[in-house]
Amino acid sequence: MILDDIVLFLRKVPPFQFLSDGALTSAIRGIASEFYPKGAVITKKDGPGEAYLFVIRKGGAKRSLDYEGQEVLVDYKGEGDVIGYHSLFGEDVPWTDVKAVDDTICYLLRKDQIKKLIDTDGEAKNLFSKSFLHPVTNDAVMELQYKHFTYSCGDKILFNTRVGAVAKRNLSTAPHGISIREAARIMTERHTGSLIFLDAGGAPVGIVTDSDMRDKVVAQGKDVNEPVNTVMSHSLKSVDADEYCYEAVLSMVKNNVHHLIVMKERHLWGILTNHDLMLLQGTSPLAIVKDIEAQSSVNGLIPVSGKINGVYNMLLSDGAKAGNVLRIITEINDRLVRKVITLIEKELGPPPVAYVWIGFGSEGRKEQTFKTDQDNAIIYSDPVNEADAREAQDYFARFSALVRDALFKVGFPPCPANYMASNPMWRQPLKSWKKYAANWTATPTPEAVLNAVTLFDFRAICGEDGLADAFRVHLQSHIADNRLLIGKAASLAIKNAPPIGFLKTFVVEKSGEHKDMLNLKVKGVSPIVDLVRLFALEKGVGTTPTLKRIAALADTHSIVKKYAEELIHAFEFIMLLRIQHQYEKIRNALPPDNFIRPDRLTNLQKRTVKEAFQIISKIQGMVIERYREMIW
Amino acid sequence: MVTYIDRLFNNRKPRRSATIESLDAVSLDLELTGLDERRDAIVSIGAVKMSGGRILLTDTFYRLVNPKIPLCGPSITIHGITPSDVQASKGIEEVLQELIDFCGDGVIIGHCVDIDLAFLGRETKRLTGRPFRNKSIDTLAVYKWLSDRHYHSDSISLGTNPSLYEIAKHFAIPASVSHNAIMDAYITAQLFQRFIAALACCGVERIGDLLRIGNQGGAIKSGEFSNF
Repeated sequence: MILDDIVLFLRKVPPFQFLSDGALTSAIRGIASEFYPKGAVITKKDGPGEAYLFVIRKGGAKRSLDYEGQEVLVDYKGEGDVIGYHSLFGEDVPWTDVKAVDDTICYLLRKDQIKKLIDTDGEAKNLFSKSFLHPVTNDAVMELQYKHFTYSCGDKILFNTRVGAVAKRNLSTAPHGISIREAARIMTERHTGSLIFLDAGGAPVGIVTDSDMRDKVVAQGKDVNEPVNTVMSHSLKSVDADEYCYEAVLSMVKNNVHHLIVMKERHLWGILTNHDLMLLQGTSPLAIVKDIEAQSSVNGLIPVSGKINGVYNMLLSDGAKAGNVLRIITEINDRLVRKVITLIEKELGPPPVAYVWIGFGSEGRKEQTFKTDQDNAIIYSDPVNEADAREAQDYFARFSALVRDALFKVGFPPCPANYMASNPMWRQPLKSWKKYAANWTATPTPEAVLNAVTLFDFRAICGEDGLADAFRVHLQSHIADNRLLIGKAASLAIKNAPPIGFLKTFVVEKSGEHKDMLNLKVKGVSPIVDLVRLFALEKGVGTTPTLKRIAALADTHSIVKKYAEELIHAFEFIMLLRIQHQYEKIRNALPPDNFIRPDRLTNLQKRTVKEAFQIISKIQGMVIERYREMIW
Repeated sequence: MVTYIDRLFNNRKPRRSATIESLDAVSLDLELTGLDERRDAIVSIGAVKMSGGRILLTDTFYRLVNPKIPLCGPSITIHGITPSDVQASKGIEEVLQELIDFCGDGVIIGHCVDIDLAFLGRETKRLTGRPFRNKSIDTLAVYKWLSDRHYHSDSISLGTNPSLYEIAKHFAIPASVSHNAIMDAYITAQLFQRFIAALACCGVERIGDLLRIGNQGGAIKSGEFSNF
């Protein structure tokens, strides 16, 4: 009698809904239910192999990984979702932490029963493996989970495939003293596209690939009797076999390599190529980066930059967390900007003095989502005399105008407030920048505070990092202990009160085009960014991404120490919602905006957004308390 | 050694120092012809096994019992079991032994469990000459204990002795006022599941403390848990 209700529920949930009556009866043999209060751990990563498959009856759970001490959200599971397919088909050790995000009831199905069913019932086996590979979404689940964010059905492959599963084991190695000819012979003999060279101690020191043979040997008419170390690439990047593939993608993009050596227990274990990853996944961020690098004109970059949206699709359908989407997109955008700058430099000839191209705003914080406004500036080396100064002024004036126009062409619209290097104010020698910093901080007029705070989020995109570092040190020394300036920054950080109304409903736009909508950027992302920046100003933290700032402040700042986890969660969630919303707009050929309709969110999303707003509100309250006499 | 002594003195009893997670329990409910312990009889028994907070949904027990006394009056309208339903059922002599076997050493969980235990005790004594010795926990007592500690935010509206259904509704546990023994046992099990989580928040983690709370309710103040 108790089971009737449970069967009724499972009849609405894939794959159980497709099972025959008999198969379902076997599947639920020994079924139990368990209650998990909000925050409780359902399964632990690397914990003991679970004897059960979990079906969420009520509530919700999040799956997350620990990445460099930070919790990386994998995805959310809602009512009707199943946790633990993986363990049904392969490894028995859970690969994520699963925690209840709400009071949650799960049905626990005995894995041994289901395995038995799969072994004896071909049709059931099909259904279960299909669900595992392509999460089937039925109407109920769709409504609960991705109500308005329907992505093309991609596999969450990058995020749940370990490098070890894709990497080639049969890698070829050779002592690094041999000649190019010898290396080529070994590669031909073993039908391998790459050869890894080991030193006397057996440690890998370099790699030669087919393309090295083509580009560095044949194309340049190099003597093949020369030692192979003259053509091999020494920058060997490695990845652990237990990492997930998206980490490998990130490493390849970052280091601009196509091969990673794979280590296991600190021993050379295999090799991973971008080809392996591309086979694994159709569109790859790597392919786009490669495309960007291959272009020789700004016009050539235009179609490439259009492909970036495909990366969003891939990342979002892979269940990537906002933080990871931002990391990968930032990497690609940076490369696009660098390529543009390199092309313009080539056109104009080398600059008369060293310079650094800096980005601020969301670009500076590595939080760009879809093509956002340009926010950039140039810091160049102090010219030694009047003539040099004029030459530099002239060069950077032409240079910055060309870069601005080129960036516009590839999809970054100009900044309406003219915070761009093409504005003479924002292209200056280092000494002028130092003067700016001194002036802004000495007399914090509203405009000066805005400038100081905006510039605080800067980072070097291209050129001499040393110039950027020098300015950073200078700026921070002026900000440190400047209570007046920090007080003004505090007023800025509490300016946007979270939109939670008296009755815990969302406060939406009252009129106009966006009536009844919620501005996620102004009401959600910006307040968190502003608060965290304030704390970074207080403690002189030089890193710019919000999530990194939180991590850097977690031990030293009293408020962050207490609320780091909530802040990260709030930021990640709102950011992801925003990315999903904007992506959805773009897919429908509409310009991306920041307005969502709260009434279209699922209950879980609504609750999570409210929680995020509540934490913002709480921390704003603390800031008001702390700066009471300076704010009003 | 401790285990040995435990066994010696606490025959048929859970280890009081063990964590609630390891508790073997049976959520139980009886439907009766009335509440008079001397005259009334059992008409149905429902029970669901639990392992800590886990409800073992397929480990259940449900029997109609022929009360051997005329089924009449208001009780029929409560549980909906009619004389013809129970006519063909076994008598308590047979069902009781099955129930005792089903329960084993499990701690009996019930809402106002004392009433049910009184009937079971009477029948066990009559039929076997021995008492019904399983330990028990009253979900109403646990509820009250938690209320005293303001655990349930708006419990005031529920009154001093809320019914099983009222509390279930409060916790959003689906419950129709059916007075069906197995469904009531299931609702009780779900309540107990919530209570275990709530008790953990109050620092109650040992079976011994749970038993004290489940038998005395408000009598125990927080901060006086035993050190088993």
